Amino acid sequence: ILVILSTPIHSHRSIPHSSITSPANRRWVVGFEMAISNAAGDPAAGNEGGGERKRKRREDPPVAKWRTEGEQKTYSSKLIEAIRRVRRSSAAEAATDHSRSRAVRVAADRALAVAARGRTRWSRAILSGRKLKLWVRARACRRKPLGNITAASASYSHTTRKSKPPALERKARVLGRLVPGCRKLPLPTLLEEASDYIAALEMQVRAMSAIAEILSAAGVAAAEPM
Amino acid sequence: MPIEMSSRRSRITDEEINELISKLQSLLPESRRRSTSRASASKLLKETCSYIRSLHREVDDLSDRLSDLMSTMDSNSPQAEIIRSILRS
Repeated sequence: ILVILSTPIHSHRSIPHSSITSPANRRWVVGFEMAISNAAGDPAAGNEGGGERKRKRREDPPVAKWRTEGEQKTYSSKLIEAIRRVRRSSAAEAATDHSRSRAVRVAADRALAVAARGRTRWSRAILSGRKLKLWVRARACRRKPLGNITAASASYSHTTRKSKPPALERKARVLGRLVPGCRKLPLPTLLEEASDYIAALEMQVRAMSAIAEILSAAGVAAAEPM
Repeated sequence: MPIEMSSRRSRITDEEINELISKLQSLLPESRRRSTSRASASKLLKETCSYIRSLHREVDDLSDRLSDLMSTMDSNSPQAEIIRSILRS
């Protein structure tokens, strides 16, 4: 299970499912903890490839917290609780596969935002009512698809055409849309938010991958004859 | 927006651009950075967006997987005890 759980996040889909021959719970606990600390120093997630010692040179300390074992463990526990809640509520009503998956995604994002402890815009935006924002945005898009663009470009030409090349401006807009709650931010602030958001997302992927591996290994072990 | 403000911000210096470029580079993991090493701020922004999108897709796929595996978390299933012992540690 060490092999499974310490694989870099970008190749998690190709992880082979090995069969656990003896259900040694203790071994799994140890393996899980070691895997998380392996993942914490994962070069795919880090920038220097030199582990956490070098990290302070290039990154702000706040971003480094997403790479710690403690943070990922706390998040994993919270996420498992949230998934249990989803399971209970989806058993009650007739839930489709898609709505269950969607509910898991929402729960994972909310738990991630909570882990940020209110220090970033993106986390506050997630917690302050995603559904309402998505709904409002969808309606606005349907009603006046071109209105927003012409209004935006009018203000661009007035204030910012000389300050940045339009290509950079356009791409910054796209980035602002990808990070929750960051649409109107100036570029330096947007980059701060994006950098924290990316580190958080990487932790989310590591934690969810580890949980999925454990759950599927647990399923295999439980099915094997003891 | 008052005219004074827009003229004060009318130039973004080369230094600021370089700072943005190095900041953007640090956002990307090693595997993506190699192919865009001599890139402009614009390319790096694009690569950052594409990286966030791919992370979102991974989370979606993992959500699918976890929602499929949810049944192993029933409190009376044999797997639940294993999971509980992991959480307790």
